[in-house]
Amino acid sequence: VSNTELHWASISELRRRLDLGEFSSVELTQHLLARIADHDQQIRSFIHISDDALEQARISDRRRRLTGVVRLLEGIPVALKDNYLTSDMPTTAGTTAPGITFPMEDSACAERLRAAGAILLGKTRTHEFAWGTITPPVANPWDITRIPGGSSGGSGAAVAAGFIPMSMGSDTGGSIRIPASFCGVVGLKPTFGRLSRHGIVPHSWSLDHPGPLTRTVEDAALVMNSLAGYDARDPACQDQPVPDFTRSLRGGVRGLRVGVIDNHFMDRNSPDVQACIEARLCDLQRQGARLTHFTMPILDYGLAAIYAIELASSGAFHDRWIAEGRTAHFQPEVRALVEMGRLVSAVDYLKAEQVRSVMAQEFKKLFDKVDVIVTPTEPLTAWKSGQSSVSINGHEESVLGASWRLTYPFNLTGLPAISVPCGFDREGMPIGLQIAARPFDEQSVLRCATSIERANAPMARPSWLTTTA
Amino acid sequence: VKKPPPPNLMPETLLQQLSGTALDLDRLQEVVRAYAPIFEEISRLKDLDLKTTHPAVIFEPTAPYRVSAR
Repeated sequence: VSNTELHWASISELRRRLDLGEFSSVELTQHLLARIADHDQQIRSFIHISDDALEQARISDRRRRLTGVVRLLEGIPVALKDNYLTSDMPTTAGTTAPGITFPMEDSACAERLRAAGAILLGKTRTHEFAWGTITPPVANPWDITRIPGGSSGGSGAAVAAGFIPMSMGSDTGGSIRIPASFCGVVGLKPTFGRLSRHGIVPHSWSLDHPGPLTRTVEDAALVMNSLAGYDARDPACQDQPVPDFTRSLRGGVRGLRVGVIDNHFMDRNSPDVQACIEARLCDLQRQGARLTHFTMPILDYGLAAIYAIELASSGAFHDRWIAEGRTAHFQPEVRALVEMGRLVSAVDYLKAEQVRSVMAQEFKKLFDKVDVIVTPTEPLTAWKSGQSSVSINGHEESVLGASWRLTYPFNLTGLPAISVPCGFDREGMPIGLQIAARPFDEQSVLRCATSIERANAPMARPSWLTTTA
Repeated sequence: VKKPPPPNLMPETLLQQLSGTALDLDRLQEVVRAYAPIFEEISRLKDLDLKTTHPAVIFEPTAPYRVSAR
């Protein structure tokens, strides 16, 4: 067994090889810890490594040996974004502001990962309070002078660098899918209410979605099998039947009805991204999918709606800390976004919630005609660290404005959406393709994503990280 | 990039009282300046007549009674 194979292996392959006894969970965990120690000083994806990761792996190996019981993620090391509470690792939500602490207790996702046998190896960096798409100081493994995206930038970078096969992210306006796209990994934002948010530091109560970042679509499905299910502690969690998400992977796209929304999603992308997505749409068509084009004028009001909801919600969450002067210690941009929450009027907030209803209705009408919608995840690839604006086809746009433009409609509507790698730009940076579907139809999302993934296999890896163990 | 001027909302002291912000006037001015382009975007919501649309906020009185096996 070569070490190189081990750290790029998918969860499904690791499971198979652990079952065959090719290596133990302790050996796998040791290997990943050594790799993180060797390379993460350049990427800085982890903020905390568990003190007892090897002990967790020893217990898993012993359980496997003595009982023969093999749970879904038995012995597989995973990580969580640093806004998920954990009982054995501190949570900072990316802030160093004095006087702000979080409980040492497991979030629902941490509980379920442990119950599935996973080894909680560490916590990955988040943009402070998940309020940004850059995640300093994390670097993009494909080019360490570029940003990894965010706010789950540590998770995207750690998975792309071969440090961990899966890391949990959270997505309020695109924070799972943006780093997935920029780092060339898979990022799934399930339907709002599919996974419990209990124990995740809130950003915006009606927009926050937990979800996994992985290197393969199948791994995202496997993780969903261990995480999905009702939890009354999360008021938004819905008691819906939980399918075997891996069953949808074998379907292919023959007969799948694919929608393309020409305004908003397809009219302001970099030439490389546009060409790549159009090529993948042709691939889908060649494989038997049927394409239909639409326009959706209400999307023109989406930015206004998400600003009003997100700013007001985050302002309410941080209100006490603003009064206590604690936000003065936040990063300047995060501080400003949090402190402007009270400037959003209640009337505008409710009008934003009305726009959301209209948008949900419009998507429903569209889903009467198609099974999935395909868009680029991002209008461009990862930009250089330190930029405050980007230029797309000669138009200057703020980095926040550009990075969440194509992802936030699916936070406003709560629809399941995935980013799957689908190619590279001329500078060798990954491009992501986004697929969305009806509420609780993650299976169609996964089915279509598998076809995109297969058409692009094998997925390349950052070259400087492939030559070392 | 030239920073946009603060929106002509109202005197800061009145804004401070109406919004209930805990920020002092100097800081409020800075925040208002940063808010200007976002305010402009949010103001576009006024163009929409949505009186027949229920907002996507639903009160659920049964919420405290929900239980699940953990």
